[in-house]
Amino acid sequence: MLELKQGELVFTFPEIHPDAKLTVSLHRTLRIPDDGQTYPLPPSFGTFPLKHVDDYSATIPERWKQHGGLMFPMYQSEALWIQFSSKYLNDHNSKYPFAVKIATGKINAITGTAWNTDLSNRPQDYLVAPEQPWLDGYCVKKGLVRQFVAMPLGSGYSAEEQLTGKSEIGGLQIIVYPMKNSAFLKRFPERRPFGTDMGDMLFQSAPSTCESKPDMGIAPGGRMKQEIYEDPYDFDDWDLNVSNRCFIHSTNSLVWRGITGEEPPTVPPTSKEYQLQGLPWFDYYGEQALPVKGSGILNSMKSIFTLGGKKGGNPLPENESVKVDSVVKISKDQIREGDF
Amino acid sequence: MVTVFGTYIRSKREKLKLEDKSYTLRQVAGRIGVEPSYLSKIERGEQPPPSEKKISALAEDLNENPDVLLAMAGKVSTDLQEIIRQRPELFSQLIKELKDLPDHAVLKLVREVRDGTW
Repeated sequence: MLELKQGELVFTFPEIHPDAKLTVSLHRTLRIPDDGQTYPLPPSFGTFPLKHVDDYSATIPERWKQHGGLMFPMYQSEALWIQFSSKYLNDHNSKYPFAVKIATGKINAITGTAWNTDLSNRPQDYLVAPEQPWLDGYCVKKGLVRQFVAMPLGSGYSAEEQLTGKSEIGGLQIIVYPMKNSAFLKRFPERRPFGTDMGDMLFQSAPSTCESKPDMGIAPGGRMKQEIYEDPYDFDDWDLNVSNRCFIHSTNSLVWRGITGEEPPTVPPTSKEYQLQGLPWFDYYGEQALPVKGSGILNSMKSIFTLGGKKGGNPLPENESVKVDSVVKISKDQIREGDF
Repeated sequence: MVTVFGTYIRSKREKLKLEDKSYTLRQVAGRIGVEPSYLSKIERGEQPPPSEKKISALAEDLNENPDVLLAMAGKVSTDLQEIIRQRPELFSQLIKELKDLPDHAVLKLVREVRDGTW
C-alpha cells in the first residue's frame, strides 16, 4: 500500500510484516556549484509539497493522468535529495529493510540503465533503505554523485535526454521491495515475544515557460561526496513478488500555480548566500558499509554547466564556487537541516 | 488515581530504558521540556495528561503515534479537529458509521496513491 501522509510517501507491506513501513520524503535544497569541485552534502530547506495528480485532473496533461501518482513544483534554482526512514523496532533491534530503486525520466539513478521493475544485483541497481538514509544524485563514481537538479524537459539537460536522446518521461520514479518476512525474522529474531506494544494497536490554461512540456526533468548538477552502499544482505532476502511503485511528476513554479492555484515554496538561497551565513554542510559517516563502484553510463553525462557552454547559453546564472568552512559529520538517524 | 495514559507512558518508558539508559524519568522530562517531578506525577496519575504539544513531544521521544497518545489522554489533535471543523456534518456522520467496522474494513478507506501506466 502506498499513501501520501503529511507530505511524505509511506510504503507499507502489512501482508509481509506489520512493521514493514518505509517513509520516503523529497527535500528541497540549494544547487551546489557546478564547477568541477566536489562538495559536501547540502542541507534541507524542508520538503517539497507533494499532491495527488488525481486532485487536479482538469488542469494536468493527459500523460500525467495515465501515469497516476503525485506531483511537486521545483524551481530551476533548486535541487532535491531523497530521504528514507523507518521506525526502529525494539523487539527486533533493527529497522525493517527495503530495496529501493530510484529513477529520473526512467533512467536508473544508480546504474544509468533504462527503468525496469525487476531488481538486479549485477550490477546493484538499487539501494538498501533505511541503511542508506539519503540519495542526493546520480551515482557517477565510487563515493561521488552528481546532484539531482531541475531543468525544463525538452531543453536537453536531463539525464533522460542525455542518455536516450528523448524527452518523453520526466519526473521521478520509485519502486520499493520489502525484505521477505522469513529473512527478516531470521536475521533479526524477536527478542521478547511476549512483550506488548500498544502503539501497534491546467495544463491548457497554465502559462508554460518551456517549449512544449510542463514537466521539469531531473538533470545532473554539481558533484558531491556521497557513498551508495552495497547491499549487506543476500539478494534472495528481497521479496521480489511484492512491491509498490510511484511516479512523481515535477513541474516549474509557474505551471504549478496554474495547475493548483497555490504558491510553491520560496526560492532557496544560492550556495554562496548559504555559505555567507556560515551555516553547515554535511558529511555522512556510514560506519562499516562499503560503497558501490558508480556507473560509467551516468559518469558519461555532461554537467549542466558543461553542456550549457556547448550550447552557447548560460543555464546557471548563479553558479559561483564557494569555499566550504563548516562541515558537520553525521551518522545514522541524525538530521541535516539548514536553518536559513 | 491511576490513568491509562500515565500507566502506558510509564510502562513504555521503562521498557525503552531496559535497552537505552537515556530513558530515565529525568532525561525524558528534559527532552520534552518539563520538570521530572511533573512527569512523575503524570505517570502516577496524580496530574492529568499534559498539553497537546507536550504529548506530541513525548510521543516522538517514546517512538509512539501522537494520535494514539492523545486519544489515551482524552484529546483530539488540533489538525484532526480542523479537518472535522471544515466539514462537520460529513465527518461526524462518517465517524459514526465507521465506529463498529473492523480495522481491515476501515483500512480499505485509506487513500492510496494511484498507480497508472508508465
